[in-house]
Amino acid sequence: MTRNVGIVGGGHTKWGVREASYKDLIQEAGKATFEDVPDVTPDDIEGLFVGSVQPERFAFQTHVAPMVAELLGIDVDSMIARTELACASGQAALRYAWLAIAAGQIDTALVLGVEKMNLPREYTPEAQTSMANVMDREFDGVNGFNAPPYFAMIAQRHMHEYDTTREQLALVAAKNKTHAANNAFAQFQKEVSVEDVVDSFPLSPPLCLFDCSGVTDGAAGLILMSEEKAREVTDEAAWITGSGQTCLSSNSINNLPSMSAWPQATQAAEQAYEQAGIDDPLKELDVAEVHDCFSISEIVEYEDLGWVEKGEGGQFVEDGRSELDGDIAVNPRGGLLGCGHPLGATGVSQALEVFNQFRGTVEPERQVPDPETGLIHNLSGSASVHSVMTLARGRQ
Amino acid sequence: MNEHNDENRTERRGGTEIATDGGSDRDVVELPHQIELPRLLDFYELQTEETTKISEFYDNLADGQLTTTRCTECDELHFPPRIVCPECHSDDLEYVDLPHEGELFAFSTVRAGAPMGMEDEVPFVLGIVDLGDVRLSAHVDNAEYEDLEIGDAVEMKIVEIDGPVDHERVFYRFEPQE
Ligand SMILES: [Zn+2]
Repeated sequence: MTRNVGIVGGGHTKWGVREASYKDLIQEAGKATFEDVPDVTPDDIEGLFVGSVQPERFAFQTHVAPMVAELLGIDVDSMIARTELACASGQAALRYAWLAIAAGQIDTALVLGVEKMNLPREYTPEAQTSMANVMDREFDGVNGFNAPPYFAMIAQRHMHEYDTTREQLALVAAKNKTHAANNAFAQFQKEVSVEDVVDSFPLSPPLCLFDCSGVTDGAAGLILMSEEKAREVTDEAAWITGSGQTCLSSNSINNLPSMSAWPQATQAAEQAYEQAGIDDPLKELDVAEVHDCFSISEIVEYEDLGWVEKGEGGQFVEDGRSELDGDIAVNPRGGLLGCGHPLGATGVSQALEVFNQFRGTVEPERQVPDPETGLIHNLSGSASVHSVMTLARGRQ
Repeated sequence: MNEHNDENRTERRGGTEIATDGGSDRDVVELPHQIELPRLLDFYELQTEETTKISEFYDNLADGQLTTTRCTECDELHFPPRIVCPECHSDDLEYVDLPHEGELFAFSTVRAGAPMGMEDEVPFVLGIVDLGDVRLSAHVDNAEYEDLEIGDAVEMKIVEIDGPVDHERVFYRFEPQE
Protein backbone atom coordinates (compact mmCIF):
# COMPACT_ATOMS: atom_id res chain seq x y z
CA MET A 1 0.00 0.00 0.00
CA THR A 2 1.19 3.41 -0.88
CA ARG A 3 -0.06 5.54 2.02
CA ASN A 4 -0.11 5.12 5.76
CA VAL A 5 -3.49 5.33 7.48
CA GLY A 6 -4.15 6.18 11.10
CA ILE A 7 -7.09 6.07 13.48
CA VAL A 8 -7.24 9.58 14.93
CA GLY A 9 -10.34 9.38 17.09
CA GLY A 10 -13.35 7.38 18.08
CA GLY A 11 -16.42 7.24 20.26
CA HIS A 12 -18.79 4.79 21.83
CA THR A 13 -22.33 4.50 23.09
CA LYS A 14 -23.24 2.58 26.21
CA TRP A 15 -23.83 -1.03 25.16
CA GLY A 16 -26.54 -3.30 26.47
CA VAL A 17 -30.31 -3.48 26.45
CA ARG A 18 -30.83 0.13 25.52
CA GLU A 19 -33.98 2.19 25.75
CA ALA A 20 -33.03 3.74 22.45
CA SER A 21 -33.79 3.28 18.76
CA TYR A 22 -31.44 2.36 15.92
CA LYS A 23 -31.29 6.04 14.94
CA ASP A 24 -30.65 7.12 18.54
CA LEU A 25 -27.62 4.83 18.70
CA ILE A 26 -26.18 6.27 15.47
CA GLN A 27 -26.52 9.82 16.79
CA GLU A 28 -24.96 9.00 20.18
CA ALA A 29 -21.94 7.28 18.60
CA GLY A 30 -21.51 10.01 15.99
CA LYS A 31 -21.53 12.76 18.61
CA ALA A 32 -19.00 10.89 20.77
CA THR A 33 -16.74 10.23 17.79
CA PHE A 34 -16.57 13.82 16.55
CA GLU A 35 -16.17 15.15 20.10
CA ASP A 36 -13.06 12.99 20.46
CA VAL A 37 -11.31 14.85 17.59
CA PRO A 38 -12.21 18.55 17.81
CA ASP A 39 -10.16 19.39 14.73
CA VAL A 40 -12.19 17.09 12.49
CA THR A 41 -15.75 18.09 11.56
CA PRO A 42 -18.44 16.40 9.46
CA ASP A 43 -17.37 18.69 6.60
CA ASP A 44 -14.01 16.90 6.49
CA ILE A 45 -15.52 13.46 5.90
CA GLU A 46 -15.04 12.25 2.31
CA GLY A 47 -15.92 8.61 2.82
CA LEU A 48 -18.53 6.99 5.07
CA PHE A 49 -18.55 3.26 5.80
CA VAL A 50 -21.28 1.83 8.00
CA GLY A 51 -21.06 -1.67 9.48
CA SER A 52 -24.52 -3.02 10.19
CA VAL A 53 -25.77 -6.55 9.77
CA GLN A 54 -29.50 -6.81 10.04
CA PRO A 55 -31.24 -3.44 10.19
CA GLU A 56 -33.84 -4.95 7.84
CA ARG A 57 -34.73 -7.55 10.46
CA PHE A 58 -34.12 -5.66 13.70
CA ALA A 59 -35.25 -2.17 12.73
CA PHE A 60 -36.96 -2.71 9.36
CA GLN A 61 -34.70 -0.04 7.89
CA THR A 62 -32.54 -0.38 4.80
CA HIS A 63 -30.17 2.00 2.93
CA VAL A 64 -28.70 2.88 6.29
CA ALA A 65 -25.44 4.57 5.22
CA PRO A 66 -27.26 7.61 3.78
CA MET A 67 -29.33 7.72 6.96
CA VAL A 68 -26.11 7.97 8.97
CA ALA A 69 -24.93 10.78 6.66
CA GLU A 70 -28.17 12.67 7.26
CA LEU A 71 -28.23 12.14 11.02
CA LEU A 72 -24.66 13.36 11.44
CA GLY A 73 -24.75 16.15 8.85
CA ILE A 74 -22.17 14.67 6.51
CA ASP A 75 -22.03 15.62 2.84
CA VAL A 76 -20.26 12.58 1.44
CA ASP A 77 -18.35 13.57 -1.67
CA SER A 78 -16.52 10.40 -2.56
CA MET A 79 -17.58 7.06 -1.08
CA ILE A 80 -20.52 5.80 0.91
CA ALA A 81 -21.57 2.24 1.65
CA ARG A 82 -22.86 -0.14 4.26
CA THR A 83 -20.86 -3.31 4.79
CA GLU A 84 -22.51 -6.61 5.67
CA LEU A 85 -20.27 -9.49 6.66
CA ALA A 86 -22.29 -10.83 9.59
CA CYS A 87 -20.28 -10.53 12.82
CA ALA A 88 -17.29 -9.00 11.01
CA SER A 89 -19.23 -6.15 9.39
CA GLY A 90 -17.55 -3.53 11.57
CA GLN A 91 -14.05 -4.66 10.67
CA ALA A 92 -15.13 -4.87 7.02
CA ALA A 93 -16.18 -1.20 7.15
CA LEU A 94 -12.86 -0.34 8.75
CA ARG A 95 -10.97 -2.35 6.14
CA TYR A 96 -12.66 -0.56 3.23
CA ALA A 97 -12.05 2.87 4.79
CA TRP A 98 -8.38 1.94 5.23
CA LEU A 99 -8.16 0.73 1.63
CA ALA A 100 -9.78 3.87 0.24
CA ILE A 101 -7.35 6.12 2.11
CA ALA A 102 -4.30 3.91 1.48
CA ALA A 103 -5.13 3.89 -2.23
CA GLY A 104 -5.19 7.68 -2.27
CA GLN A 105 -8.87 8.04 -3.14
CA ILE A 106 -9.76 9.97 0.02
CA ASP A 107 -7.99 11.46 3.04
CA THR A 108 -10.62 11.26 5.75
CA ALA A 109 -13.28 8.64 6.51
CA LEU A 110 -15.85 7.95 9.17
CA VAL A 111 -16.42 4.32 10.11
CA LEU A 112 -19.54 3.68 12.14
CA GLY A 113 -20.80 0.33 13.37
CA VAL A 114 -24.30 -0.01 14.76
CA GLU A 115 -26.80 -2.69 15.67
CA LYS A 116 -30.11 -2.55 17.51
CA MET A 117 -30.77 -6.18 18.48
CA ASN A 118 -33.05 -6.08 21.50
CA LEU A 119 -36.69 -6.05 20.65
CA PRO A 120 -39.40 -6.78 23.20
CA ARG A 121 -39.07 -10.46 24.12
CA GLU A 122 -42.16 -11.59 22.26
CA TYR A 123 -40.50 -10.51 18.98
CA THR A 124 -37.36 -12.58 19.55
CA PRO A 125 -38.37 -15.45 17.25
CA GLU A 126 -38.92 -12.98 14.41
CA ALA A 127 -35.53 -11.33 15.01
CA GLN A 128 -33.90 -14.76 15.03
CA THR A 129 -35.19 -15.74 11.61
CA SER A 130 -32.07 -14.30 10.00
CA MET A 131 -29.61 -15.09 12.81
CA ALA A 132 -30.17 -18.80 12.09
CA ASN A 133 -29.31 -18.26 8.45
CA VAL A 134 -25.63 -17.35 8.29
CA MET A 135 -24.97 -20.76 6.75
CA ASP A 136 -27.10 -22.26 3.96
CA ARG A 137 -30.69 -21.47 4.89
CA GLU A 138 -32.10 -24.34 2.86
CA PHE A 139 -29.96 -27.10 4.40
CA ASP A 140 -28.55 -25.71 7.69
CA GLY A 141 -30.78 -22.83 8.80
CA VAL A 142 -33.81 -25.04 8.30
CA ASN A 143 -32.51 -27.22 11.15
CA GLY A 144 -32.35 -24.26 13.54
CA PHE A 145 -28.55 -24.12 13.20
CA ASN A 146 -27.89 -20.76 14.85
CA ALA A 147 -24.71 -19.69 16.65
CA PRO A 148 -24.92 -21.42 20.07
CA PRO A 149 -25.14 -25.01 18.74
CA TYR A 150 -22.50 -24.30 16.08
CA PHE A 151 -19.93 -23.09 18.61
CA ALA A 152 -21.04 -25.81 21.05
CA MET A 153 -20.06 -28.37 18.42
CA ILE A 154 -16.73 -26.61 17.86
CA ALA A 155 -16.17 -26.90 21.62
CA GLN A 156 -17.26 -30.54 21.64
CA ARG A 157 -14.89 -31.45 18.79
CA HIS A 158 -11.99 -29.44 20.28
CA MET A 159 -12.47 -31.19 23.64
CA HIS A 160 -12.73 -34.54 21.83
CA GLU A 161 -9.62 -34.06 19.68
CA TYR A 162 -7.33 -32.07 22.00
CA ASP A 163 -8.61 -32.82 25.52
CA THR A 164 -9.52 -29.19 26.09
CA THR A 165 -11.45 -29.01 29.37
CA ARG A 166 -14.74 -27.46 30.44
CA GLU A 167 -12.80 -25.42 33.02
CA GLN A 168 -10.46 -24.00 30.36
CA LEU A 169 -13.48 -22.70 28.44
CA ALA A 170 -14.78 -21.13 31.64
CA LEU A 171 -11.41 -19.46 32.29
CA VAL A 172 -11.82 -17.48 29.05
CA ALA A 173 -15.29 -16.30 30.02
CA ALA A 174 -14.26 -15.43 33.57
CA LYS A 175 -11.21 -13.47 32.35
CA ASN A 176 -13.08 -11.42 29.78
CA LYS A 177 -16.16 -10.75 31.90
CA THR A 178 -13.89 -9.64 34.72
CA HIS A 179 -12.22 -7.15 32.36
CA ALA A 180 -15.67 -5.89 31.38
CA ALA A 181 -16.50 -5.30 35.03
CA ASN A 182 -14.15 -2.31 34.74
CA ASN A 183 -15.44 -1.07 31.39
CA ALA A 184 -18.00 1.72 31.63
CA PHE A 185 -19.70 0.95 28.31
CA ALA A 186 -19.83 -2.87 28.66
CA GLN A 187 -23.14 -4.72 28.76
CA PHE A 188 -22.06 -7.09 31.55
CA GLN A 189 -20.19 -5.24 34.31
CA LYS A 190 -20.00 -8.00 36.88
CA GLU A 191 -17.01 -10.11 37.84
CA VAL A 192 -17.61 -13.76 37.12
CA SER A 193 -15.78 -16.84 38.45
CA VAL A 194 -15.08 -20.14 36.72
CA GLU A 195 -17.74 -21.72 38.96
CA ASP A 196 -20.28 -19.08 37.90
CA VAL A 197 -19.67 -19.97 34.25
CA VAL A 198 -19.90 -23.72 34.71
CA ASP A 199 -23.03 -23.38 36.84
CA SER A 200 -24.86 -21.07 34.43
CA PHE A 201 -27.76 -22.28 32.28
CA PRO A 202 -26.69 -25.07 29.87
CA LEU A 203 -27.75 -23.20 26.75
CA SER A 204 -26.14 -25.45 24.13
CA PRO A 205 -24.00 -28.00 25.95
CA PRO A 206 -21.10 -28.13 26.52
CA LEU A 207 -21.55 -24.34 26.41
CA CYS A 208 -23.42 -22.57 29.19
CA LEU A 209 -25.04 -19.16 29.14
CA PHE A 210 -21.89 -17.39 30.41
CA ASP A 211 -19.87 -18.97 27.59
CA CYS A 212 -21.95 -16.89 25.15
CA SER A 213 -21.87 -13.21 24.23
CA GLY A 214 -25.03 -11.20 24.64
CA VAL A 215 -27.82 -9.78 22.56
CA THR A 216 -26.75 -6.18 22.48
CA ASP A 217 -27.73 -2.71 21.33
CA GLY A 218 -24.80 -0.44 20.64
CA ALA A 219 -22.73 1.63 18.27
CA ALA A 220 -19.17 2.87 17.92
CA GLY A 221 -17.37 5.17 15.52
CA LEU A 222 -13.84 5.84 14.28
CA ILE A 223 -12.24 8.58 12.20
CA LEU A 224 -9.45 7.47 9.87
CA MET A 225 -7.01 9.78 8.08
CA SER A 226 -4.07 9.62 5.78
CA GLU A 227 -0.77 10.14 7.58
CA GLU A 228 -0.36 13.64 6.18
CA LYS A 229 -3.80 14.75 7.44
CA ALA A 230 -3.57 12.81 10.68
CA ARG A 231 -0.42 14.64 11.69
CA GLU A 232 -2.38 17.91 11.45
CA VAL A 233 -4.97 16.85 14.04
CA THR A 234 -3.19 14.56 16.50
CA ASP A 235 0.20 13.25 17.57
CA GLU A 236 -1.17 9.99 18.97
CA ALA A 237 -2.79 8.12 16.07
CA ALA A 238 -3.03 4.32 15.93
CA TRP A 239 -1.51 3.24 12.61
CA ILE A 240 -2.97 0.37 10.60
CA THR A 241 0.00 -1.80 9.73
CA GLY A 242 -1.68 -4.85 8.17
CA SER A 243 -5.08 -6.23 7.20
CA GLY A 244 -5.93 -9.75 5.99
CA GLN A 245 -9.08 -11.67 5.21
CA THR A 246 -9.82 -15.22 4.02
CA CYS A 247 -12.77 -17.40 2.98
CA LEU A 248 -12.09 -20.91 1.65
CA SER A 249 -14.96 -21.48 -0.77
CA SER A 250 -17.08 -22.73 2.09
CA ASN A 251 -20.01 -21.59 4.18
CA SER A 252 -22.32 -24.56 4.81
CA ILE A 253 -21.69 -27.43 7.21
CA ASN A 254 -20.53 -30.01 4.66
CA ASN A 255 -17.99 -27.65 3.13
CA LEU A 256 -16.33 -26.13 6.20
CA PRO A 257 -12.69 -27.22 6.36
CA SER A 258 -12.87 -28.30 10.02
CA MET A 259 -15.02 -28.27 13.15
CA SER A 260 -12.04 -27.79 15.47
CA ALA A 261 -9.72 -25.47 13.53
CA TRP A 262 -10.03 -22.30 11.49
CA PRO A 263 -7.34 -22.33 8.79
CA GLN A 264 -8.93 -19.15 7.44
CA ALA A 265 -7.78 -17.37 10.61
CA THR A 266 -4.25 -18.61 10.10
CA GLN A 267 -4.17 -17.35 6.52
CA ALA A 268 -5.72 -13.97 7.35
CA ALA A 269 -3.29 -13.51 10.23
CA GLU A 270 -0.30 -14.45 8.07
CA GLN A 271 -1.34 -11.81 5.53
CA ALA A 272 -1.59 -9.13 8.21
CA TYR A 273 1.65 -10.19 9.97
CA GLU A 274 3.55 -10.08 6.70
CA GLN A 275 2.29 -6.58 5.87
CA ALA A 276 3.13 -5.43 9.38
CA GLY A 277 6.56 -7.08 9.42
CA ILE A 278 5.63 -9.25 12.40
CA ASP A 279 7.74 -12.40 12.55
CA ASP A 280 6.82 -13.70 16.01
CA PRO A 281 3.32 -12.53 16.96
CA LEU A 282 3.53 -13.98 20.46
CA LYS A 283 6.55 -11.80 21.22
CA GLU A 284 5.68 -8.79 19.11
CA LEU A 285 1.98 -8.26 19.89
CA ASP A 286 1.14 -6.49 23.15
CA VAL A 287 -2.64 -6.36 23.06
CA ALA A 288 -5.27 -8.26 21.06
CA GLU A 289 -9.01 -7.92 20.73
CA VAL A 290 -10.13 -11.28 19.35
CA HIS A 291 -13.59 -12.55 18.50
CA ASP A 292 -14.75 -14.36 21.66
CA CYS A 293 -18.38 -14.68 20.58
CA PHE A 294 -18.21 -17.89 22.63
CA SER A 295 -15.50 -18.95 25.08
CA ILE A 296 -14.27 -21.74 22.79
CA SER A 297 -13.65 -19.23 19.99
CA GLU A 298 -10.84 -17.50 21.89
CA ILE A 299 -9.10 -20.84 22.57
CA VAL A 300 -9.20 -21.81 18.89
CA GLU A 301 -7.95 -18.33 18.00
CA TYR A 302 -4.86 -18.55 20.26
CA GLU A 303 -3.91 -21.54 18.13
CA ASP A 304 -4.96 -20.49 14.66
CA LEU A 305 -3.67 -16.92 14.92
CA GLY A 306 -0.29 -18.60 15.31
CA TRP A 307 0.45 -17.98 18.98
CA VAL A 308 0.64 -21.60 20.20
CA GLU A 309 0.67 -25.10 18.70
CA LYS A 310 -2.65 -26.61 17.64
CA GLY A 311 -4.42 -28.07 20.65
CA GLU A 312 -2.52 -25.94 23.18
CA GLY A 313 -5.08 -23.14 23.38
CA GLY A 314 -6.70 -24.40 26.57
CA GLN A 315 -3.34 -24.62 28.30
CA PHE A 316 -2.51 -21.08 27.07
CA VAL A 317 -5.38 -19.56 29.06
CA GLU A 318 -4.83 -21.91 32.00
CA ASP A 319 -1.23 -20.71 32.24
CA GLY A 320 -2.38 -17.09 32.36
CA ARG A 321 -0.63 -16.20 29.13
CA SER A 322 -3.62 -14.19 27.83
CA GLU A 323 -4.06 -12.16 31.04
CA LEU A 324 -3.33 -8.42 31.14
CA ASP A 325 0.23 -9.19 32.26
CA GLY A 326 0.62 -12.30 30.08
CA ASP A 327 2.37 -12.86 26.75
CA ILE A 328 -0.43 -11.03 24.95
CA ALA A 329 -3.17 -9.17 26.82
CA VAL A 330 -6.26 -10.66 25.17
CA ASN A 331 -9.56 -8.82 25.28
CA PRO A 332 -8.80 -6.20 27.94
CA ARG A 333 -11.99 -4.47 26.74
CA GLY A 334 -13.96 -7.42 28.05
CA GLY A 335 -14.44 -9.05 24.70
CA LEU A 336 -17.76 -9.93 23.18
CA LEU A 337 -18.42 -12.05 26.27
CA GLY A 338 -18.28 -9.02 28.55
CA CYS A 339 -19.11 -6.06 26.33
CA GLY A 340 -21.87 -7.80 24.38
CA HIS A 341 -21.93 -8.13 20.62
CA PRO A 342 -23.93 -5.57 18.64
CA LEU A 343 -22.84 -7.29 15.44
CA GLY A 344 -21.89 -4.40 13.15
CA ALA A 345 -20.34 -2.36 15.98
CA THR A 346 -18.00 -4.99 17.44
CA GLY A 347 -15.02 -4.68 15.08
CA VAL A 348 -15.16 -0.89 15.33
CA SER A 349 -15.18 -1.06 19.13
CA GLN A 350 -12.25 -3.49 19.13
CA ALA A 351 -10.12 -1.11 17.06
CA LEU A 352 -11.13 1.79 19.28
CA GLU A 353 -10.06 -0.25 22.31
CA VAL A 354 -6.59 -0.84 20.85
CA PHE A 355 -6.32 2.89 20.07
CA ASN A 356 -7.42 3.75 23.62
CA GLN A 357 -4.94 1.24 25.06
CA PHE A 358 -2.18 2.96 23.05
CA ARG A 359 -3.10 6.41 24.33
CA GLY A 360 -3.80 5.19 27.86
CA THR A 361 -7.39 6.34 28.18
CA VAL A 362 -9.07 3.12 29.35
CA GLU A 363 -9.96 2.43 32.97
CA PRO A 364 -6.69 1.87 34.92
CA GLU A 365 -7.79 -1.59 36.12
CA ARG A 366 -7.65 -2.94 32.56
CA GLN A 367 -4.86 -0.84 31.10
CA VAL A 368 -2.13 -2.91 29.47
CA PRO A 369 1.31 -1.52 30.42
CA ASP A 370 2.68 0.59 27.55
CA PRO A 371 1.38 -1.35 24.56
CA GLU A 372 3.06 -0.57 21.25
CA THR A 373 1.40 -3.11 18.94
CA GLY A 374 -2.10 -4.53 18.73
CA LEU A 375 -4.37 -6.83 16.75
CA ILE A 376 -8.08 -7.11 16.13
CA HIS A 377 -9.71 -10.29 14.87
CA ASN A 378 -13.25 -11.13 13.81
CA LEU A 379 -14.81 -14.29 12.51
CA SER A 380 -18.18 -14.21 10.84
CA GLY A 381 -21.07 -16.60 10.43
CA SER A 382 -19.99 -20.21 10.75
CA ALA A 383 -16.42 -18.88 11.10
CA SER A 384 -16.20 -19.28 7.34
CA VAL A 385 -14.54 -15.87 7.06
CA HIS A 386 -11.77 -14.50 9.25
CA SER A 387 -10.60 -10.88 9.29
CA VAL A 388 -7.43 -9.71 11.01
CA MET A 389 -5.98 -6.21 11.34
CA THR A 390 -2.75 -5.15 13.04
CA LEU A 391 -2.15 -1.74 14.58
CA ALA A 392 0.85 0.13 15.95
CA ARG A 393 1.24 3.10 18.26
CA GLY A 394 4.13 4.74 16.53
CA ARG A 395 5.54 4.68 13.04
CA GLN A 396 9.28 4.58 12.52
CA MET B 1 -44.03 18.27 12.77
CA ASN B 2 -45.03 21.44 10.96
CA GLU B 3 -46.33 24.79 12.04
CA HIS B 4 -49.99 23.87 11.62
CA ASN B 5 -49.75 21.63 14.62
CA ASP B 6 -48.12 24.08 16.98
CA GLU B 7 -51.24 24.77 18.99
CA ASN B 8 -51.96 21.09 19.42
CA ARG B 9 -48.38 20.32 20.42
CA THR B 10 -48.31 23.00 23.09
CA GLU B 11 -51.47 21.61 24.53
CA ARG B 12 -50.03 18.07 24.64
CA ARG B 13 -46.80 19.19 26.24
CA GLY B 14 -48.94 20.49 29.09
CA GLY B 15 -49.81 16.88 29.78
CA THR B 16 -53.12 17.09 31.56
CA GLU B 17 -55.12 18.26 28.56
CA ILE B 18 -54.45 15.16 26.52
CA ALA B 19 -57.68 13.46 27.51
CA THR B 20 -59.78 16.42 26.45
CA ASP B 21 -58.23 17.17 23.04
CA GLY B 22 -60.78 15.17 21.10
CA GLY B 23 -59.14 11.72 21.17
CA SER B 24 -62.37 9.83 20.68
CA ASP B 25 -63.08 11.73 17.46
CA ARG B 26 -59.84 10.59 15.85
CA ASP B 27 -59.86 8.28 12.88
CA VAL B 28 -58.62 4.83 13.77
CA VAL B 29 -56.12 3.05 11.51
CA GLU B 30 -56.79 -0.67 11.80
CA LEU B 31 -53.84 -3.03 11.68
CA PRO B 32 -54.04 -6.80 12.11
CA HIS B 33 -53.08 -7.89 15.64
CA GLN B 34 -51.85 -11.23 14.39
CA ILE B 35 -50.81 -12.59 11.04
CA GLU B 36 -50.27 -16.20 10.02
CA LEU B 37 -46.69 -17.35 9.50
CA PRO B 38 -45.70 -15.65 6.26
CA ARG B 39 -44.44 -18.09 3.63
CA LEU B 40 -41.09 -16.33 3.44
CA LEU B 41 -40.44 -16.85 7.15
CA ASP B 42 -41.19 -20.56 6.81
CA PHE B 43 -37.71 -22.12 6.77
CA TYR B 44 -38.50 -24.94 4.38
CA GLU B 45 -37.85 -23.92 0.79
CA LEU B 46 -40.34 -24.37 -2.00
CA GLN B 47 -39.61 -27.74 -3.62
CA THR B 48 -41.32 -27.80 -7.01
CA GLU B 49 -39.69 -27.55 -10.42
CA GLU B 50 -41.34 -24.15 -10.92
CA THR B 51 -39.42 -22.75 -7.93
CA THR B 52 -36.06 -24.53 -7.76
CA LYS B 53 -33.77 -26.29 -10.20
CA ILE B 54 -32.87 -28.87 -7.53
CA SER B 55 -36.46 -30.14 -7.34
CA GLU B 56 -35.13 -33.60 -8.29
CA PHE B 57 -33.47 -33.75 -4.87
CA TYR B 58 -36.84 -33.23 -3.21
CA ASP B 59 -38.62 -35.62 -5.61
CA ASN B 60 -36.07 -38.31 -4.74
CA LEU B 61 -36.52 -37.61 -1.05
CA ALA B 62 -40.30 -37.81 -1.36
CA ASP B 63 -39.74 -41.21 -3.03
CA GLY B 64 -37.71 -42.31 0.00
CA GLN B 65 -34.12 -41.77 -1.18
CA LEU B 66 -31.59 -39.17 0.02
CA THR B 67 -29.50 -38.04 -2.95
CA THR B 68 -27.11 -35.32 -3.98
CA THR B 69 -25.36 -34.18 -7.13
CA ARG B 70 -22.06 -35.37 -8.62
CA CYS B 71 -20.21 -33.68 -11.45
CA THR B 72 -19.84 -35.93 -14.50
CA GLU B 73 -16.88 -33.81 -15.69
CA CYS B 74 -14.63 -33.76 -12.61
CA ASP B 75 -16.35 -36.36 -10.40
CA GLU B 76 -16.74 -33.93 -7.48
CA LEU B 77 -19.54 -34.88 -5.07
CA HIS B 78 -21.49 -31.88 -3.78
CA PHE B 79 -23.66 -31.23 -0.81
CA PRO B 80 -25.92 -29.31 -0.81
CA PRO B 81 -26.98 -30.35 -4.34
CA ARG B 82 -25.99 -27.89 -7.07
CA ILE B 83 -26.86 -27.01 -10.62
CA VAL B 84 -23.29 -25.84 -11.41
CA CYS B 85 -20.20 -27.66 -10.13
CA PRO B 86 -18.27 -25.30 -7.81
CA GLU B 87 -15.01 -27.05 -8.79
CA CYS B 88 -15.15 -26.91 -12.60
CA HIS B 89 -18.34 -24.93 -13.33
CA SER B 90 -19.76 -27.72 -15.46
CA ASP B 91 -23.54 -27.97 -15.42
CA ASP B 92 -23.51 -31.63 -16.40
CA LEU B 93 -24.41 -33.07 -13.01
CA GLU B 94 -26.13 -36.31 -12.00
CA TYR B 95 -28.04 -37.32 -8.89
CA VAL B 96 -26.45 -40.11 -6.85
CA ASP B 97 -27.71 -41.93 -3.75
CA LEU B 98 -26.37 -41.09 -0.30
CA PRO B 99 -26.38 -43.69 2.49
CA HIS B 100 -29.22 -43.47 4.99
CA GLU B 101 -27.06 -44.58 7.90
CA GLY B 102 -24.15 -42.70 9.41
CA GLU B 103 -22.38 -41.61 12.57
CA LEU B 104 -22.87 -38.61 14.82
CA PHE B 105 -19.88 -36.34 14.22
CA ALA B 106 -21.00 -33.60 16.64
CA PHE B 107 -24.20 -32.60 18.42
CA SER B 108 -25.72 -30.12 20.84
CA THR B 109 -29.13 -28.78 21.75
CA VAL B 110 -31.11 -25.77 20.66
CA ARG B 111 -32.80 -24.35 23.76
CA ALA B 112 -33.11 -20.64 23.02
CA GLY B 113 -33.08 -18.25 20.11
CA ALA B 114 -35.26 -20.48 17.97
CA PRO B 115 -36.52 -18.66 14.92
CA MET B 116 -40.15 -18.02 14.11
CA GLY B 117 -42.07 -21.21 13.43
CA MET B 118 -39.65 -23.34 15.47
CA GLU B 119 -40.43 -21.99 18.95
CA ASP B 120 -42.63 -24.96 19.81
CA GLU B 121 -39.93 -27.50 18.92
CA VAL B 122 -37.39 -26.18 21.46
CA PRO B 123 -35.50 -27.85 23.05
CA PHE B 124 -34.27 -30.30 20.44
CA VAL B 125 -31.04 -32.10 19.59
CA LEU B 126 -29.17 -30.82 16.54
CA GLY B 127 -26.35 -32.84 15.07
CA ILE B 128 -23.81 -33.14 12.28
CA VAL B 129 -24.10 -36.58 10.70
CA ASP B 130 -21.14 -38.14 8.91
CA LEU B 131 -22.37 -40.16 5.93
CA GLY B 132 -18.87 -40.95 4.68
CA ASP B 133 -18.47 -38.59 1.73
CA VAL B 134 -20.85 -35.97 3.09
CA ARG B 135 -21.45 -34.35 6.48
CA LEU B 136 -24.83 -32.77 6.90
CA SER B 137 -26.64 -31.00 9.70
CA ALA B 138 -29.94 -32.43 10.89
CA HIS B 139 -32.43 -32.69 13.68
CA VAL B 140 -31.72 -35.79 15.77
CA ASP B 141 -35.15 -37.01 16.83
CA ASN B 142 -36.02 -39.42 19.63
CA ALA B 143 -32.80 -38.64 21.49
CA GLU B 144 -31.65 -36.80 24.61
CA TYR B 145 -28.34 -34.94 24.57
CA GLU B 146 -27.17 -36.76 27.71
CA ASP B 147 -27.62 -40.18 26.09
CA LEU B 148 -25.57 -39.45 22.95
CA GLU B 149 -21.88 -39.80 22.17
CA ILE B 150 -19.69 -38.85 19.21
CA GLY B 151 -19.69 -41.81 16.81
CA ASP B 152 -23.17 -43.07 17.69
CA ALA B 153 -24.94 -44.80 14.79
CA VAL B 154 -27.90 -42.86 13.39
CA GLU B 155 -30.31 -43.46 10.54
CA MET B 156 -32.34 -41.18 8.33
CA LYS B 157 -36.07 -40.73 8.48
CA ILE B 158 -38.22 -38.63 6.18
CA VAL B 159 -40.73 -36.17 7.59
CA GLU B 160 -43.61 -34.41 5.87
CA ILE B 161 -43.79 -30.64 6.28
CA ASP B 162 -47.21 -29.20 7.03
CA GLY B 163 -46.95 -25.42 6.69
CA PRO B 164 -48.23 -22.35 4.87
CA VAL B 165 -47.62 -23.82 1.40
CA ASP B 166 -50.05 -25.70 -0.84
CA HIS B 167 -47.74 -28.33 -2.29
CA GLU B 168 -46.54 -31.37 -0.36
CA ARG B 169 -43.08 -30.98 1.09
CA VAL B 170 -40.65 -33.39 2.75
CA PHE B 171 -37.36 -33.15 4.63
CA TYR B 172 -34.86 -35.50 6.24
CA ARG B 173 -34.04 -35.99 9.90
CA PHE B 174 -31.99 -38.56 11.76
CA GLU B 175 -32.54 -40.70 14.84
CA PRO B 176 -30.44 -43.21 16.80
CA GLN B 177 -30.32 -46.69 15.28
CA GLU B 178 -32.06 -49.43 17.24
ZN1 LIG C 1 -16.95 -30.45 -11.75
